Amino acid sequence: MSNQKPILKAEDLSKRYEDGVLALDHVNLEIRGGEAYCLLGANGAGKTTTINLFLNFIPPTTGTCYINGIDVTKNPLEAKKYVSFVSENVMLYGNFTARQNLDFFAKLGGKENLAKEAYYQVMRRVSLQEKAFEQRVKNFSKGMRQKLGISIAIIKDAPAVLLDEPTAGLDPKAAEEFLEILNELKGEGKAILMSTHDIFRAKEIGDRVGIMKEGRLVMERTREELQYEDLVKIYIDYMKSEPLTT
Amino acid sequence: MLQTIIKKELLESVFSYRFPLFALICLLLIPLGMSVNQANYAKRVRDYSEQVRLADEAAAALKIQDVMAGTVAIKGFRRPAPLSVFTQGFESTLPRYYEFTQDGFRPGESASDDESILSVQGKVDFVFLVQMVISLIALLFASDMVSGEKESGTLRAMLANCLPRDTLLAGKIGGGYLALWIPFLLAFLLGTVVLMLAAFPLFGGDATARVLIIFLATSLFILTYFTIGIAVSTSAAKARTSLVTIFIVWVAFQLIIPKLGDMVARLVYPVRTETEVSLQKSLLVRSLEIETAKELGRQYDLIFGAAPKGAADDEKSPERKKWDPTRDDIQLRARERKAQQLAAIDETYLQERRRQMNLAVNLSLVSPSAAFARFIADVCGTGELERAKYLEAVRSHQKALDNELFSKVKRTLMMHEGGGMSMSFSAMPVDASKLPKFSIVPASLAETFKANVRSVLSLAFWLIAPFAFAYARFRKYDVR
Repeated sequence: MSNQKPILKAEDLSKRYEDGVLALDHVNLEIRGGEAYCLLGANGAGKTTTINLFLNFIPPTTGTCYINGIDVTKNPLEAKKYVSFVSENVMLYGNFTARQNLDFFAKLGGKENLAKEAYYQVMRRVSLQEKAFEQRVKNFSKGMRQKLGISIAIIKDAPAVLLDEPTAGLDPKAAEEFLEILNELKGEGKAILMSTHDIFRAKEIGDRVGIMKEGRLVMERTREELQYEDLVKIYIDYMKSEPLTT
Repeated sequence: MLQTIIKKELLESVFSYRFPLFALICLLLIPLGMSVNQANYAKRVRDYSEQVRLADEAAAALKIQDVMAGTVAIKGFRRPAPLSVFTQGFESTLPRYYEFTQDGFRPGESASDDESILSVQGKVDFVFLVQMVISLIALLFASDMVSGEKESGTLRAMLANCLPRDTLLAGKIGGGYLALWIPFLLAFLLGTVVLMLAAFPLFGGDATARVLIIFLATSLFILTYFTIGIAVSTSAAKARTSLVTIFIVWVAFQLIIPKLGDMVARLVYPVRTETEVSLQKSLLVRSLEIETAKELGRQYDLIFGAAPKGAADDEKSPERKKWDPTRDDIQLRARERKAQQLAAIDETYLQERRRQMNLAVNLSLVSPSAAFARFIADVCGTGELERAKYLEAVRSHQKALDNELFSKVKRTLMMHEGGGMSMSFSAMPVDASKLPKFSIVPASLAETFKANVRSVLSLAFWLIAPFAFAYARFRKYDVR
């Protein structure tokens, strides 16, 4: 691990919802530039909650999230300048064209007055078909939507990228293309935090893989460690193990 | 950032199927409603002019003998309000004219006699369209602006950026409202062009200012409903929940609260009709006349009972010298008593009406629609203020006619104890051409605003409160 400062950092992060459910239990996490961290876990394990806390969508019960050293709770707007977000079902405006969607989210990301060609270049980079650039996205396939979603992240050019199960529901080819783009982003020095159910792709992209269970980060392995261990077996063993005591 | 959100909301609304539908409704119905009401107004003005001409002719041919016979009823007509093309208000229910007699005034027929049978379903005028149609569309436009984005997840995508929530909310309101306001503006302009082509007096007196006020108040009213919709949408997690809530809010504001207010007021403070009051006044006048006649008869018999024959006709006889001041005194006291008691009836009636109206207005003003309709009706000269002004003019005209005409004739009716009756007349000449003309002083804009402080406050409340509510809810909203 390099000595550079982490771009994404969770410190003693916990979240208990109003109904009493403990969604996240004292999680600590650090992700540096050029590093991809994959969070594995069953539904309700706390993966999405972690991402929601990084985006200040919900306030933490205890602990702090930092993006680029900025406390997300204290200064959410400043912190969000340094992060892009891609969700499972990329949320787009169906009546807008791909370029119009890209233009809108680019402006929200602080990229004003970009030329049409700049948008086209990003869409070409993610291998979106040329003819789709000026088409309304309501008829786009899930793969096309995901490509457009990652285009939004690319055009924002933020040092951190949060991805919430981005390959869920994608066909193998589309998922592979998606991971290629993520690898490129990693190569550009972005810090990537991706929650996923896909063990194989987690192993493929992740420099580190963490397994979450009942809100806790119960295991963490580096890429090197995983060369000698079977991630599938580790994951299944954790899932089958006794419930954690609180 | 705000500009980006406004532009996005505007485009999103314009691309939706609702926008062309709304634009079509506005562009068809608003000018059409104005055109139909303009034609109706022109017809009523023609009727009014003809009736005034006939009444003037009748007044010019007035003979003092008719006044002495008590068969004269002078009519005072109300000119139709030009801005009734925007809202009918009380236009068709107010009496077209009042009849003035020695015994007081009574209302004539109303213009509602000319109305189509379809009017029972409500008149389709500008205010009706705004209140019933545009308000609902404004709510529908707003219904999924926040809840729809919560559901689809686009709200998460937006809030993942450096976007303050208040900017997002303000942008949504600004952009969504523009999508409503632009078609409304075009329809309103088209409507005024239609009116101008029909030679409608749009630029006379303060008409232009009033039309501008109608436009601005309507624009704010649409914004009010749009903001109410946004407040509901912000609170709902799903677009469907928001839609159902919005329908309930609309029904409450449009149909239940205004009508309930009126019903409760009628139940709590029942008021007699104007015709009933006129009848009561007529009966009082008759009864006072009989009382006066009896008193005059008794005094006459006392004074002239033992007098030599011809003493009543001899102005120099001692009996006559005693009778003349006695008669004048009785008649003066009778006149004063009559005026006092008639004024008391009027005052009681007015108090009853004021009490009922105050309660009805206060209850109905809970609804922004009622506040809007009340305010616009007063701006157009077809509302409660016009009704009050009309009655004020009627009273004032009655007084003027009493002074200039009816008091010129003195009728002395006497009822003697033996059962006999006698009547004598004295009359001063009257120049019929110099009789006062009936006119209503229109309410100024300052008076209109003063009379509508509560309506304006209600509208202001409904404009600010939903925004504040939406803002508070949206700030605390947990994006999950």
